Amino acid sequence: MKTADELIKTYLSDLKNALKGADRATVQDALADAEEHLRTALESESAEVEAESEAIQTIIKEYGEVEEIAQAYKNWEVTLPPALAATPAARRVASASHGKTYPGFFGVFADPRAWGGLVYMLISIITGTLYFSWAVTGLSTSIGVMILIIGIPITIVFLLSFRGIAFLEGRLVEALLGERMPRRASFTDSSLPWKERLKILLTGKATWLSIIYMILMLPLGVIYFSVMVTLIAVSISFIATPVGAIVMMAKDIPFEIFRSGDIVWTVSDPAGLTLTLLIAGLGFLIGTCTMHIARWVGKVHGKFAKALLVSD
Amino acid sequence: MVELQDTHKKFQKELSSGTVSLALLSILAQSQEPLYGYQIGKLVGAGDDDGVMVKQGAIYPVLRSLESQGLLSSEREMSDSGPPRKYYQATETGQEALKDWTAIWIETKNFVDNVLGGDYQ
Repeated sequence: MKTADELIKTYLSDLKNALKGADRATVQDALADAEEHLRTALESESAEVEAESEAIQTIIKEYGEVEEIAQAYKNWEVTLPPALAATPAARRVASASHGKTYPGFFGVFADPRAWGGLVYMLISIITGTLYFSWAVTGLSTSIGVMILIIGIPITIVFLLSFRGIAFLEGRLVEALLGERMPRRASFTDSSLPWKERLKILLTGKATWLSIIYMILMLPLGVIYFSVMVTLIAVSISFIATPVGAIVMMAKDIPFEIFRSGDIVWTVSDPAGLTLTLLIAGLGFLIGTCTMHIARWVGKVHGKFAKALLVSD
Repeated sequence: MVELQDTHKKFQKELSSGTVSLALLSILAQSQEPLYGYQIGKLVGAGDDDGVMVKQGAIYPVLRSLESQGLLSSEREMSDSGPPRKYYQATETGQEALKDWTAIWIETKNFVDNVLGGDYQ
């Protein structure tokens, strides 16, 4: 005779199998919902431990067969695209409902994912710095006080905070980069004794991958931010060249666009004017490329975040 | 016989996809206090096995879907025993939507009743 706990675990692993092929974040949500429901139901239905394994069978039956529940979540995934539509199924839904996409090289300016990527890369210097500092502070403090009794609760608080931050970062990634991430934090069984829970926290892959992610976010954030600010600054200054030239001309300041030996072009020369306009065009081109880079980095970073922050 | 069973199931599934949303929204709009998933499941799943339109496990994706449309709001609260619970409540928009949905439901119901009763000529 299996215990209630074993039956719940079996059900969850069956559900996970049935959800094969669904988005990992959907799987995590479905498992968390199921575990919360089954354990809450067990808590309310049976007072005695002996009756638990009987009760859980009825509860599981009422919850629904694995296949049926898996299908319900798959349907939900299709009808509910992430904010910026990342999964193929969701993209079909999104493009069907909007009727058109924006193809072409310059269409990137109408793509919300490019803007999302841009914003993400710009703020990553702040979030990256915070994640890194917190991870390093947490790790070193925890290791430092480990030998003291007080060290245990401190370690638990830091480890829990890493999980929490990983969840929040997931929400940020989904909102800005359109990669589907878990919509709720993963389930922790609060009925387990704290020693067990600490063990799960310490040995869990998810905790350590979150810490690695948080540490890597500092160099990544610095790179993202510097590259974006540089590209944006270059692009805007190039685009602004004609404006600068006009302002200078109006103030009677000679504005030399090109000088080589005896040849001097100002904006009033046809050659100088052409060159000025070409520079502005180049600026616009760089700006467009910047948007493409932002979209591409956003996509790659989304995959990277999912690999490290969403547990199997 | 097996095939008949399958069409029966398929029809029930298609039919329930909209009605479950309506039923859940209505339960939460009528409730005086916020409810959590297990309580809602109990209310929906009352009755014997054959009469159950929706399995308790299938209400969670619907609740999430309603929440993402802004019709429900939720709050996570710790419980004295067992895991933390997510309490759902109908929002103002949800209350408004329920009125429209109810009207649509009555229209649909009358239409189907008329057809089934042979009055639809």
